[in-house]
Amino acid sequence: MEAASIAVGHDDHGHDEHHGPPAANRSSRVEPQTLGMYLFIISEVMVFGAFFTAYFFIRVVQGDPWFPFAGNKLPVLVAGVNTAILVSSSLTMHWAQTSAKHDNRFGLRAGMLTTLLLGSTFLFVQINEYANIGFSPHDHAEGTIFYGLTGLHGAHVFIGLTLLLMTTVRAFRGHFTPEEHRGVEVPGIYWHFVDVMWLVVYTSVYIL
Amino acid sequence: MRNRPLVQAGLVAVVATALGIALGLGIRWFPEQASTQAHRVDTLYDVLIVASVPMFVLVVTVVLFSVWKFRMRPGEETKDGPPIHGNTRLEVLWTAFPAVLLISLCSYAYVVLTDVERKPAGREMYINVTSQQFAWSFEYPAAATGGQPMQSTELYLPKDQPVQFKIQSKDVIHAFFVPAFRVQIDAVPGQTTTVRATPSRIGDYPLICAELCGLGHSTMRSTVHVVTPAAFTRWLKSRQAPGLSPSAGPGALAAAGKTVFTGGAGCGGCHTLADAGTSASVGPDLGKTLGADAKRRGKPLDAFIRESITAPNAFLAPGYPSGVMPQNFGSTLSKAQVDGLVAYLTKVTAK
Amino acid sequence: MVAKVRAPGFYRAGLMAALGVAFAAGLVALVRSTSELHPVFKGAAVTQVALIAAPLFFLVGLGAFDYWFYWASGRPTRPEDHSGHGARSWRDYFRVNTDHKVIGIQYTVTSFFFLLVGGLMAMLMRAELAQPGSQFVDANTFNGLFSVHASLLIFLFIIPVFAGLANFVLPLMIGAPDMAFPRLNALSYWLLPIAGLMMLASFFAPGGSFASGWTAYAPLSDTAPLGQSFFTIAVQFAGASSIATALNFLVTIITMRAPGMSFFRMPLLVWANFATSLLVVIATPFIAASQFFVLLDRGLGFNFFNAGHGGDVLMYQHVFWFYSHPAVYIMMLPGFGIISEILAVKSRKPIFGYRMMAFSLLAIVVLGFTVWAHHMFTSGMQAWIRIPMMITTAIIAVPTGIKIFSWLATLWKGVLRLDTPMLFALGFLTMFTLGGISGVMLSMIPFDIHVSDTYFIVAHIHYVLFGGSLFTIFAGVYYWFPKMTGRMFDERLGRIHFWLTFIFFNLTFAPMHVIGIDGMPRRVADYTSNYADWNLIISLASFVLGLSTLVFLYNIVSSWRTGVRAPANPWRGLTLEWQVSSPPPIFNFDSLPTVVGGPYEYGVPGAVHGVFKGGAEVRPTPAGTVAQPSTQ
Ligand code: HEA
Ligand code: HEA
Ligand code: HEC
Ligand code: CUA
Ligand SMILES: [Cu+2]
Repeated sequence: MEAASIAVGHDDHGHDEHHGPPAANRSSRVEPQTLGMYLFIISEVMVFGAFFTAYFFIRVVQGDPWFPFAGNKLPVLVAGVNTAILVSSSLTMHWAQTSAKHDNRFGLRAGMLTTLLLGSTFLFVQINEYANIGFSPHDHAEGTIFYGLTGLHGAHVFIGLTLLLMTTVRAFRGHFTPEEHRGVEVPGIYWHFVDVMWLVVYTSVYIL
Repeated sequence: MRNRPLVQAGLVAVVATALGIALGLGIRWFPEQASTQAHRVDTLYDVLIVASVPMFVLVVTVVLFSVWKFRMRPGEETKDGPPIHGNTRLEVLWTAFPAVLLISLCSYAYVVLTDVERKPAGREMYINVTSQQFAWSFEYPAAATGGQPMQSTELYLPKDQPVQFKIQSKDVIHAFFVPAFRVQIDAVPGQTTTVRATPSRIGDYPLICAELCGLGHSTMRSTVHVVTPAAFTRWLKSRQAPGLSPSAGPGALAAAGKTVFTGGAGCGGCHTLADAGTSASVGPDLGKTLGADAKRRGKPLDAFIRESITAPNAFLAPGYPSGVMPQNFGSTLSKAQVDGLVAYLTKVTAK
Repeated sequence: MVAKVRAPGFYRAGLMAALGVAFAAGLVALVRSTSELHPVFKGAAVTQVALIAAPLFFLVGLGAFDYWFYWASGRPTRPEDHSGHGARSWRDYFRVNTDHKVIGIQYTVTSFFFLLVGGLMAMLMRAELAQPGSQFVDANTFNGLFSVHASLLIFLFIIPVFAGLANFVLPLMIGAPDMAFPRLNALSYWLLPIAGLMMLASFFAPGGSFASGWTAYAPLSDTAPLGQSFFTIAVQFAGASSIATALNFLVTIITMRAPGMSFFRMPLLVWANFATSLLVVIATPFIAASQFFVLLDRGLGFNFFNAGHGGDVLMYQHVFWFYSHPAVYIMMLPGFGIISEILAVKSRKPIFGYRMMAFSLLAIVVLGFTVWAHHMFTSGMQAWIRIPMMITTAIIAVPTGIKIFSWLATLWKGVLRLDTPMLFALGFLTMFTLGGISGVMLSMIPFDIHVSDTYFIVAHIHYVLFGGSLFTIFAGVYYWFPKMTGRMFDERLGRIHFWLTFIFFNLTFAPMHVIGIDGMPRRVADYTSNYADWNLIISLASFVLGLSTLVFLYNIVSSWRTGVRAPANPWRGLTLEWQVSSPPPIFNFDSLPTVVGGPYEYGVPGAVHGVFKGGAEVRPTPAGTVAQPSTQ
């Protein structure tokens, strides 16, 4: 919820001087919105941190067996492909961001669309994986952790996609200029974070 | 002379400190010491008092002294204090001093900790403690009984015999807390925690569940009986002896049942029963409910009582939760004890 | 009518909330029928989903999100007109309002409401504990009472009230026209009443309110009746609220300071909230997660804490305390800030060792993350962890000590004005020291093993939270009352309030040390008769302590309505908030000030903190121009 508010937050004192309060003094070079997003990402990292603590306690402290065990195994390969998809979505996002800077409207729109597409594909594959994986969180603590971590990340992908959707809508309505494109930048930062986080989740859950 | 205030304040502080420490050491804080490690903990506390009273007194004296000396007098409404911004020497001092003090306190505490928890010389007795909502039960392994392993709802310990308790929980977290021994450790589902004590004083001491575990948490108490080794073996014998023979008149049975009810089984911890003089409200007032509920259940009184003890959830007293009354008295109580309880409760309800 | 329902406000909010419940029911029905679960409508499930959905729908209805919806859909956003700013009538406090001054007051008043409710519960507890046996409430209700008591007072009083006070004064202090994200600010406020009412509502849940303490240890909380979910979910909303506020403070402090206001020219209240916000941003996600775990275990049959299926029970405590120990500093650092402001102004001297004051705050932040397991000395975790935790815990006393001693040095040779805010500040100095010292005793493992989960802990809790946090809050509320309301409070009543509180606070909580060491466990509705006498004394004292709150209430309410008008700068303070009218103009500053010196230069001839464009300098206003609170 804070994600939305910060990501789409805009300069409160910018385009409505004549109404709002007097412009504040800028005591720092960083954009408030960007800074806000980075701080928010810190607490997001901590949320994942807590879930990884659970992972650590179950797998290391308790020493429960990890996948594959007793017929429970993870589709490492499929997930690997999925990882590739998500990572490439980060590239397209970057493309969109740079296009926005250089006033390349086509690049912006195409970039946003492909990012949306790739992101949704990832989510779809993930859900499909749940459907066919053959164990549930009820079965054992390992299942709990698996669904917990991947589910948490899935939720973040979903949030990210909603933000991107907003940006895309506005991109097609002709918003964003080389001067004023925080609406692309800030959700972009979040999206990159979601991708990086996945790499961590993938390595610790599927590979290690 | 510049430092007059400082000197005065210092004097006041010294006197106050002396008084404070005297008070702190004077009060009888702890319950009596019934284990060999108790006095180590109590001494640690005395040391802490001696270390912290001066700190507290220092703060209070400076505050009171400033209030007295530096209070704004009439006519000083616009007066400001001297612009003192700091004093590195002082600041270093009051950073370093507490640091040193605290480190030394920690080291001392560490020493105390290690020899409170060290394995004592000589043979150690193991007792398996099982906790569940909301009762304790104890298993004396063969090594301890010298015969069969034995289940009991009472905890008897021979004086001067080092014990290690191996504690487990069947449901939620409880805590095994014996204030007189200065020992406490949680009972954690899925793992076994251990704690050591060497009883050093004959007597009965409360065993308390110190971790919130639900409805009956406050009633989850039992008693630690520290007795002479001789008495301990006698107790073991009595436990293993076959129950009172049915030939013994119902009077004798009931009498035995009453001691079980008020004593070891801890029924009184949850039930009011006028005749037994217990007054707890976790479970129904057995003096009142039994007759009616037996009818509801459609069983003869004694059969119903036996069921209620060995399988409490078979029938729930109206308005009372299921699963609060321990489910395992069937196994933790000897046949004789259950017979006794049934006879006793039947007798009380009958009249 | 239709117009009323379409416009943002309580009509629309109510409607949306209802929609939210319907949505929850629908969702549950859908899921359960697709996975062939019966019955399709499961009360408990619907309630849990509704607890999450309804509040969000409610906020949408209230209009908390309107602006973002417009923005997202790319429609031209309604320019931020003044309607969102300032408060003309009491009604404006019941709208989504983006003015930090309005929000500050909304925050403060709301959280004091929860103090009263939570306190009242304490009164019930004390009535029950006045004598052994059970008189007024049964075991279940009692467990519910202290659980809700603590949860309300921690999550809906101490934490938000500090956020509220800071909300009002912080932007003024750093010369900013508002917070960095005013709409986010409004949202974080409106999350609070939701969380609070949810906790209270749990009393109506089947099986009673949540009753596993404010610590909600698993697996007890896993298996507890439905009421527990109210806590689990309410904490999520409260947590989201404080994270959002912390982000807001951090961004505001970093990017919106007035020209010339370097970090080392910031008032210590700003520093304190900077440190606190860091703690919140880093730590709060952990309690959110801990409650997610419980929620998943309860709602979807996950196995985080199900030992039978390989779950790890102690993991809950590690995750919980990794938030909740830093949380105790979240509940203390802003108070430290308030005290620094008041002591400097009231003893007319610069803060002694300003830089060390700032650094010690940061030291506490860092150390605060390294001590969580001191709550777990008896939990059965790996024994060796206890040792490092004991040392770090004890060491925290050093930076805290630096602050205490610097405050004492600030008093020394000052010209002390012993009015109500100052009295509470001095009360804090002594009482918090006592609570802190009992804390240091607790960090000594062998002693903690004996007193853990006894009334000694309860005593420590209240000396630090009541004698510490609450005293600073009273001090702060009195100190900024003129600025917030534009009126002076009744000094005489203020003093009566202080002395009643101070005396009966000690009579209530000091004896708890004694019965605690003597072995009386906490969280019990009934106790053995050897503790009866002390408990009776405690209960009687606590009732007077409760009533003393009424003096405060009366003073605040009556002064707010009919008190004498307050001058701009009644305390002759240097910091910027005192250089504007009381209450401040709608946008704080007609022209932003420029800061040219430190905030506490009292006694330095001709010292100046900031200058306005007009050239009006920010130096202590000359005598006689302002109401001088008498000192007798
Ligand atoms: C405002 C909240 C607050 C604050 C500030 C503190 C501060 C401290 N607390 Fe406390 N604590 C709580 C709130 C707080 N606590 C709560 C709510 C619980 C119970 C949770 C529950 O179970 O429900 C708790 C429980 C708790 C425990 C666990 C007890 C148990 O459950 O077994 C411990 C153990 O170490 C502890 C220690 C400390 C220490 C060392 C400090 C230190 O930070 C104190 C430092 C301050 C000083 C020491 C005083 C000033 C210093 C000087 C004057 C310098 C000289 C002093 C010396 C050299 C001694 N606290
Ligand atoms: C800031 C936090 C805070 C505050 C202010 C208080 C305030 C009080 N607390 Fe509480 N308390 C906690 C935080 C706090 N507490 C915590 C964290 C716990 C641990 C819970 C747990 O174990 O999980 C706890 C637990 C706790 C217990 C232990 C419960 C148990 O373990 O069994 C007790 C028992 O006496 C208690 C008492 C009181 C009392 C008498 C007050 C008084 O100061 C309250 C006085 C204030 C008022 C009463 C205001 C309202 C007054 C009126 C509306 C006027 C009307 C008054 C009358 C009718 C008399 N508290
Ligand atoms: C931890 C609390 C607790 C303890 C200890 C306990 N009980 Fe109970 N008991 C209950 C509760 C709660 C009920 C009501 C629910 C039920 O009927 O199971 C109950 C019900 C009963 C009933 C049935 C009453 C009725 O009218 O239905 C009997 C008989 C009884 N207990 C006997 C005993 C005896 C004998 C002991 C000791 C060996 C004992 N209880 C120990 C809590 C307890
Ligand atoms: Cu068992 Cu409390
Ligand atoms: Cu702590």
